[in-house]
Amino acid sequence: MNSIRRLLLASIAITAFGVATPTFAESKGTIYYMVPTLLDEFQTESVSAIEKFLKDVGYDVKTLNADNKTDLQQSQMNDTILLKPAAIVLAAVDFNALQPSIEKARAAGIPVMEFDRQITATPSDFTSVAGTVEIGHVAGDEIQRLLKEKKGAVKGKILQVLGDPSDPYTLDIQKGFEEKMKAFPDVKIISLPAANWEASNAGTIVADQLVANPDIDLIFVHAAHLAVAAVASLEAKGKKPGDVMLVSSNGAPVGLDLIRKGWENVEVEQPLYAQAAALAMFADKVVKKQEIKAGNYKVLGLDSVVTIEKWGPNIKIPGAAITKANVDEARFWGNLKAPADKVTPVE
Amino acid sequence: MITRRNRAMVEFVLDNLVWFLLAFVLVVFSALVPNFFQTGIFVNIIESSTMVGVMAIGLAIVIIAGNMDLSVESTAALSAMVTGILFCSHGIGIGWTLTPEWLALPVSLVIALAVGTVIGYLNGLLVVKLKMDAFIVTLASYIWVRGAVVALSGGRSAQDLAPTIRFIGIDTFLGIPLIAWLAIAGFVVFTFIMAKTPFGRHITMIGGNRAATFRAGIAVDKLVWISFLLAGAIAGFAGWLLAIRTSGASAGLGVGMLFQAFAAVVIGGVSLKGGVGRLPGVYAGVLLLHSIQTAINLMGMPAHYTQMILGTLVLAAVLLDTIKLTIRRKLT
Repeated sequence: MNSIRRLLLASIAITAFGVATPTFAESKGTIYYMVPTLLDEFQTESVSAIEKFLKDVGYDVKTLNADNKTDLQQSQMNDTILLKPAAIVLAAVDFNALQPSIEKARAAGIPVMEFDRQITATPSDFTSVAGTVEIGHVAGDEIQRLLKEKKGAVKGKILQVLGDPSDPYTLDIQKGFEEKMKAFPDVKIISLPAANWEASNAGTIVADQLVANPDIDLIFVHAAHLAVAAVASLEAKGKKPGDVMLVSSNGAPVGLDLIRKGWENVEVEQPLYAQAAALAMFADKVVKKQEIKAGNYKVLGLDSVVTIEKWGPNIKIPGAAITKANVDEARFWGNLKAPADKVTPVE
Repeated sequence: MITRRNRAMVEFVLDNLVWFLLAFVLVVFSALVPNFFQTGIFVNIIESSTMVGVMAIGLAIVIIAGNMDLSVESTAALSAMVTGILFCSHGIGIGWTLTPEWLALPVSLVIALAVGTVIGYLNGLLVVKLKMDAFIVTLASYIWVRGAVVALSGGRSAQDLAPTIRFIGIDTFLGIPLIAWLAIAGFVVFTFIMAKTPFGRHITMIGGNRAATFRAGIAVDKLVWISFLLAGAIAGFAGWLLAIRTSGASAGLGVGMLFQAFAAVVIGGVSLKGGVGRLPGVYAGVLLLHSIQTAINLMGMPAHYTQMILGTLVLAAVLLDTIKLTIRRKLT
């Protein structure tokens, strides 16, 4: 009997302490981040960055990994809607397939922010992107420069190694790149996809093409981890750094290392930290359903533009070309030095 | 009336059908696909077949023993990641160096084999001792081991494998990369083991008729367990080769290889019901798949055509298997 009384008193004491103790940092609510996969370094780092920046402005973050499966991400969206979070940050596996899920969430009063992958078919509450087509444009400009420097004119043979052919992300980069190169008929582009974004598939493509087309001037791969396999194949064929020019996109640490070692010429980075910080800057407005005004904003020091599109407010942060001259700058996420400064919400 | 000589010839053709198919495909591609007919391309086919080929050896042994192992792809990925983390100098690699430096080669190999052996041991334990279904056990391993790869790497990559290991992916012997010689050696060794040793014959007997083999006094459970152990260790070896070929490891390394290995095993004439199959046929199956893949690369066709052709080939292989059985029945 005594022990029951002691237990009861202890419970009351604990409850009383809990009530009396002030909350140190009151959360503004939970935001769910739907990450498409954790099999590449950009996405992995995006989890850390989004959690850090949203925490800076007072939100708890929970991350759900869709493992590159559209149906799984749809289920995750459905489950999350039932939990009534403050907002959802979505980096869609499939740009079109997630449209109904976005509409369902918004109909349930849950704001949806798009991260990295722009969905234009239906309105969202905020979109933070570098622009995948624009990454292709930047790569196109850089490749024109490299060919001109090496051959005196924009001409030659390019091997373009895409990611998985079912991923709209890689198709957008291809679209942007080929738009830029259309003006140069003396450039021949051979485009082949690495199924599943699997590195050894990219290595095989490069090995085959080096035999079939030994006059390839430049290889453009759509992700840095594919560049590693491409370099391994170049090395196996007896090539030295600089023999074949190499351009990659996304700005992952392995790509930056390849630049330092002279194998890679340019890495087109997606400004991951700024993209994540932009979500945090506008999170309060999104959650409170306040108006977001078009205009120029500084996001982690980068000039960025908010426009009001038919799919909602859209911030576009310019991607940068990383070369040997600037590879060590801390602003590039591939150097894995997340900015320590706290993000301030937009008033 | 079929003469004895004709019967022997038909038997020979049936036993080596996949090799004839490979020769036919190579001739057709050489004639029709621009740039295909050259030594460099044939070397590439042999080289790119290495990892799936090695993986298929272990898979074939388990299938011949009448079981299934879906975990080989993830096991190879984990072994590649462990090798990458320990012996790569960039990314998440810790750049472990040994004195003398050449020790990195045997030590990394032993570690990779150990990683695979542990997973094979666990699979075998659950199948043999707890009598769990091999399909479910290895499916679970396929999932949790890939999860372990992601957890271990944090989604990041290791790159720049130690030169004392990497040379295997670069140097050649008789014009063929060392890495491919290792796969060929693997096939030669295990072909001998499966065809000429009691172990190999008993494994085939277990797959053909487990109860009869048990009644014949053969330690069925022990041999089945060893088959899983071997499949794990060989997958670990495949992962080691994968890390060497790509000079590192990323979390998604090897994705999709399981299905290629399965396709090669089936095309190579191994019956999924167990008890039937020879490893040289499996190697021919792997070479056939990679010849098609290479031709598609050279033609610039989209990758999904490879998958469509792969699926059709697997169906054709099963159909051929049925036809072969019918012909054999008529011969006897």
